[in-house]
Amino acid sequence: MTDNMKREPMVEMFIFETFQLLDELEQSLINSEKESGFESSINEIFRIMHTIKGSSAMMLFENICGLAHSIEDLFFYLRESKPKNYDSSEITDIVLCGVDFIKNETSKLENGMELDGDSSELIYRIREYLQSLKRLNGEEVAQEDAKEPDSGEQNPSKKYAISLCDETASSKSYKYEAVLKFEEDCEMENIRAFSVVHDLKEVADILYCHPKEVLEGEGDCEIIRKEGFKVVFATDLGLNEVKDRLSHALLLKSLDVYVLSDDFSTESVKDYLKDKDESEKGNASEQDQKEASSNDGADNQKINDSNKKNKNENEEKHGSVPSNANSLGKQSVISVNISKLDKLMDIVGELVIAEAMVTQSPDLAGLQLDNFQKSARHLNKITNELQDIVMSIRMVPLSTTFQKMNRIVRDMGKKLNKSVELEIIGEETEVDKNIIERISDPLIHLIRNSIDHGIEEASERERKGKPPVGKLVLEAKNAGGDVWIIVKDDGRGLDKEKILKKARENNLIHKPESELTDKEIYSFIFMPGFSTSDKVTEYSGRGVGMDIVTKNISMVGGSINVESVPDKGTTFSIKFPLTLAIINGMAVKTGRSSFTIPTISIKKSFRVKDEAIIEDNNGNEMIMVRGEAYPILRLHKFYNLDTDITDLNEGIIVMVENDSKVICLFADQLLGEQQVVVKALPRYIKKVRGIGGCTLLGDGSISLILDIATLINIKEV
Amino acid sequence: MKRVLVTDDANFMRTSLRMMLERHGFEVVGEAENGMVAFEKYKEMKPDIVTMDITMPVCDGINAVKLIKKFDPDAKIVMISSMGQECFVKDAILAGAKGFIVKPFKEDYVIQTLEKL
Amino acid sequence: MTKELENVMEVEEDTQKGKYLTFIIGKEVYGIEIKYVTEIIGIQQITEVPELPDYIKGIINLRGKIIPVMDVRLRFKKEQREYNDRTCIIVVEINDISVGLIVDSVAEVVDISENDIVPPPNSSTGFSNKYINGIGKIGEDVKLLIDCNMLLNDEECENLAMIS
Repeated sequence: MTDNMKREPMVEMFIFETFQLLDELEQSLINSEKESGFESSINEIFRIMHTIKGSSAMMLFENICGLAHSIEDLFFYLRESKPKNYDSSEITDIVLCGVDFIKNETSKLENGMELDGDSSELIYRIREYLQSLKRLNGEEVAQEDAKEPDSGEQNPSKKYAISLCDETASSKSYKYEAVLKFEEDCEMENIRAFSVVHDLKEVADILYCHPKEVLEGEGDCEIIRKEGFKVVFATDLGLNEVKDRLSHALLLKSLDVYVLSDDFSTESVKDYLKDKDESEKGNASEQDQKEASSNDGADNQKINDSNKKNKNENEEKHGSVPSNANSLGKQSVISVNISKLDKLMDIVGELVIAEAMVTQSPDLAGLQLDNFQKSARHLNKITNELQDIVMSIRMVPLSTTFQKMNRIVRDMGKKLNKSVELEIIGEETEVDKNIIERISDPLIHLIRNSIDHGIEEASERERKGKPPVGKLVLEAKNAGGDVWIIVKDDGRGLDKEKILKKARENNLIHKPESELTDKEIYSFIFMPGFSTSDKVTEYSGRGVGMDIVTKNISMVGGSINVESVPDKGTTFSIKFPLTLAIINGMAVKTGRSSFTIPTISIKKSFRVKDEAIIEDNNGNEMIMVRGEAYPILRLHKFYNLDTDITDLNEGIIVMVENDSKVICLFADQLLGEQQVVVKALPRYIKKVRGIGGCTLLGDGSISLILDIATLINIKEV
Repeated sequence: MKRVLVTDDANFMRTSLRMMLERHGFEVVGEAENGMVAFEKYKEMKPDIVTMDITMPVCDGINAVKLIKKFDPDAKIVMISSMGQECFVKDAILAGAKGFIVKPFKEDYVIQTLEKL
Repeated sequence: MTKELENVMEVEEDTQKGKYLTFIIGKEVYGIEIKYVTEIIGIQQITEVPELPDYIKGIINLRGKIIPVMDVRLRFKKEQREYNDRTCIIVVEINDISVGLIVDSVAEVVDISENDIVPPPNSSTGFSNKYINGIGKIGEDVKLLIDCNMLLNDEECENLAMIS
């Protein structure tokens, strides 16, 4: 079964879908809890667990399957029995634990690790809870049962779904007895038998069957597995027709049909069957009584043959080419492995460069090529469009990431006993896939901080004349070529004095305090090791965090800002470029090397004229621009490159900014600005400080992309 | 070549089945993520066989069987069920489903079942 | 069809066995197993990357793929030599990592049967090139066989990177 299935793509899909379902589930749970009841989402939660159960069983992940099953059971009970006494937040807690377990296991799968989690304790807890829930609601359930019989799957209706016909009442000509055996482990043998009887009923009167409960869609599967399913019926059909009809039963392993003599009353059939059961083991001679007995062997043979034939056909087809991929009814949305997109992006990048190499080839210089130019323009238009499309494929809406924050807010609020409402705006905003991956952790951190430190307890809020429920806004929007993500709370705001004190202690203040703007003061919280919290909580205030947020954000080319008003709240604004894989860059030259500086970080570039250059004792140079001193980083010195241009007056200064910190890079000359495709350095080369990747220039040469954030930090230290 | 419409709310299950069936020379002409979509697609492409999950949003498998059977009494529908869903399978058979497969399913049995319809 | 492909691959693998690409550095002839070699190109524009050990000369653009290049001369702690039109880059691939090896010149492809390969003399005799894992003999000629894995993945590389 699953073993000969192609595993890899299935694993990918399992991971993808399970995560998706769990996110949905989390949302449903949290929404239900807010409404303090599960009525609206019970079905959805049940269905999601059911699906996860099915998929994980297919993948043989028994731990996940078992856990999903127990949650499914819990919600089945909630759905079918509608108990009155239960605490929805308790259920939410339990189920969220389960969700976390499955998430955790699925992440292990994603990272190629062993699925070694043990869900048995959780399953036990859920079962226990279900039991206690049943006990708690025992009486009410019993009463409701009396009024209205439960129609759930565990307690199906008691009335016969197929009724037996009194033998004497049957007007049909012949009576037969059939014994059917099904394939091993085909499961639900009772329902298979039910299906047979259901089909037979159209042409026959059912006189008797064993086990009898099959008629209700129940009955012991074990008996059918061991003894086969016996059915006695009356019909006008001939023996061959009967056999033909019965042999259509699915997953049939063997079929015996006997013709019964006319005078068999229902009673005698029973006796007869009983006799036969006993005699069958030792003695087959009794079968002589039956006309059809001589054919038995052959018939069995026939059916086995046909099964075999099926199998042969299967094998033949196995090797054949899979059916036409362009078949009808394909989905309109497909999931694609991200590495394929990366590759596509690379190739389109190459194409753009190759195009430039052709159309700007030095061989063409001075030639009058009207047709060529026309075609080149056309080509350029197409490559640009292609590039746009590829970029748009990589764009993913922020909604999943944003929705995840509901859970964080819920958990935090509950733990800290604060009531917080989260408003989400603009979740449909799309950003590059890479950004999505990096943004989640910083957002979680900011939100935790807001709830932990920003939003006050209800009593304090009321004293301040604010509504008791704290408000947190998570907003995304497009502005120009950038995406803004804003986290805003209406809490107590940042404590300026505390931040200043801490900044003083850590020697972070480099100018007179009276000159510091509020913004500059607040920005100290992004410095490494900075935390104003007096007590360390589980969620925030460990002195690490904000700098990690900054780091994560700058890794994807973003920047963060903070604004705060005492007792009104704090707003964090994060700015990202729309995409990362293709950036606008300024190429500069130093010696024989070419570097590319992301245009986004460039403030300006200029030649040194009469700006004052200051040098400190350690040889660190500073340049004075409009009364401000900025450190100079000479690329040739920093990277130890040979160049003739070492005089600051001869080269070029590029002023770059990151996180409102500014330094001046010194290079030989500017080569020009262009769109470049960001490529990683070969894996064989270990990390080089200050270099974020490389790119190909129009002439096919390689330029190293500078990682401005790192360079600034190195210079600061 | 038998043309099959696969119905399941889980993409994973649909793909498992699709791969299984295509390996054995079935043509999967469509996928549906719930009973309503299955019904619409059935009308549109008249597949030879429909595989039908039971628990699905919007319109579950049992209702879908009823809808399809009403539209085409000769429709061949195979239910995809889990252990513990006996009652629903029974209802599906009463509604006209031809057979059923129990999850987690064995490739052999899936193919045998569908070949035989 | 896949079967056929596999057969072809096997044959190819078979025909590659015992085949070595030989190249010259200084006076010595070295051999490298042909199965590692993906292509041989002439010397081309190398982009220097700062802070790398001296024997990693930088990176090159191989039809859009960016690969690092190693000067085997420097790797063997021999003197640097000007590159000329005989200088070649042998592109090898091991464990999905492509690296270009800069050598003085490429000689030929030769068959060396296992019987003709002897282990290198141990270091006590003054032989110190740890990247050689065998010596192949063809008639009177001697080829020093290179351990490609060692050449690329020797720890020293990382250490150097860290020091600088």
